[in-house]
Amino acid sequence: MKYTVTILRFNPEQDEKPHQERYSIEAQEGWTVLDALNEIKWYRDGSLSYRRSCRHGICGSCAMTIDGVNRLACETQLATLKSEFVVEPLRHLRVIKDLIVDMEPIYTKLLEIKPYFIEKGPPPSDHERLQSPEENKKLDGLYECIICGSCTSSCPSFWADGEYLGPHAFLKVNRFVADSRDEGKAERLKLVDNRHGLWRCHTIFNCVEACPKSLNPTKAISALKRALVGGQF
Amino acid sequence: MVIRHYRWHTGTWAWILHRLSGMALISYLVLHTWVIHHIQRGPEEFDALMEFVTSPLFKFGELGLFGVILYHTLNGIRIVLVDLGWTVELKAQKITFWALVAIGIIALGLGAYGFFH
Ligand code: FES
Repeated sequence: MKYTVTILRFNPEQDEKPHQERYSIEAQEGWTVLDALNEIKWYRDGSLSYRRSCRHGICGSCAMTIDGVNRLACETQLATLKSEFVVEPLRHLRVIKDLIVDMEPIYTKLLEIKPYFIEKGPPPSDHERLQSPEENKKLDGLYECIICGSCTSSCPSFWADGEYLGPHAFLKVNRFVADSRDEGKAERLKLVDNRHGLWRCHTIFNCVEACPKSLNPTKAISALKRALVGGQF
Repeated sequence: MVIRHYRWHTGTWAWILHRLSGMALISYLVLHTWVIHHIQRGPEEFDALMEFVTSPLFKFGELGLFGVILYHTLNGIRIVLVDLGWTVELKAQKITFWALVAIGIIALGLGAYGFFH
């Protein structure tokens, strides 16, 4: 099957602004967008740059905007696309080269919300920190994030405010707030209760549409909003 | 620079329309206050203006206003439902959106009947 791939390319060392380049490729059955990019890079134009590592949807390196939606290149089958499609770097993140963006803002925001277990007292010396299967179940859909950046870079609130914490960070906040063992609930809620925090979410659902792991950051945000408001009474 | 604009999902439409209808309502509020303030300028002036704003053109405008209010109210309810966590799944919020659109269209139809009958 023949495909025409249009890629938004930019090399800040040479180019003044991004430009598009088209490649026609002959794809084999079962190919993903990552396979198409590999075909181009390995046999046509070695200067094309993109991130990939695991090539089975778990490292989160290969998130990009494919035909106007954020997806993982390695998990997007060519068969689900039209014979002409567009590949662009994730939006509103600085382009380092071609499809590689600077993920620093995504990571910084994640660190801001203390993405680690907080316990006030000393750890138990004779056993692990236990929780019931029911309590553990509450964390389903919250811990599976692969930090690919698809959600936050699809979010109009993030486009408008680069300091917005972003859906990926809220999902992580709720991962700890909903954890029966964590004791940092109050300080975490405080961290998201500001003008670059929770309240900038306009329930647009772009993040949920984009998440390659089918997680629901909006659900996390709504739970956090209720926890915050509930805490006032 | 981008080649293709980011895809508009149901939620994106809902949000953009919510913004636009919100801004329209604020502008209307200003206009409304301006019209009403004529009341302190005496009956003649107020009556003249009232005559003007009851012309057929404004009747259509009023129906439009009703539509805008309807949208903003109904989508507002949708957002509340999302924030309550009742319809926060991707599918549920879409179904709610279209269900409320259907309710809105029916209400608008009834409104049009009331306005022009
Ligand atoms: S290469 Fe690892 S997620 Fe795509």
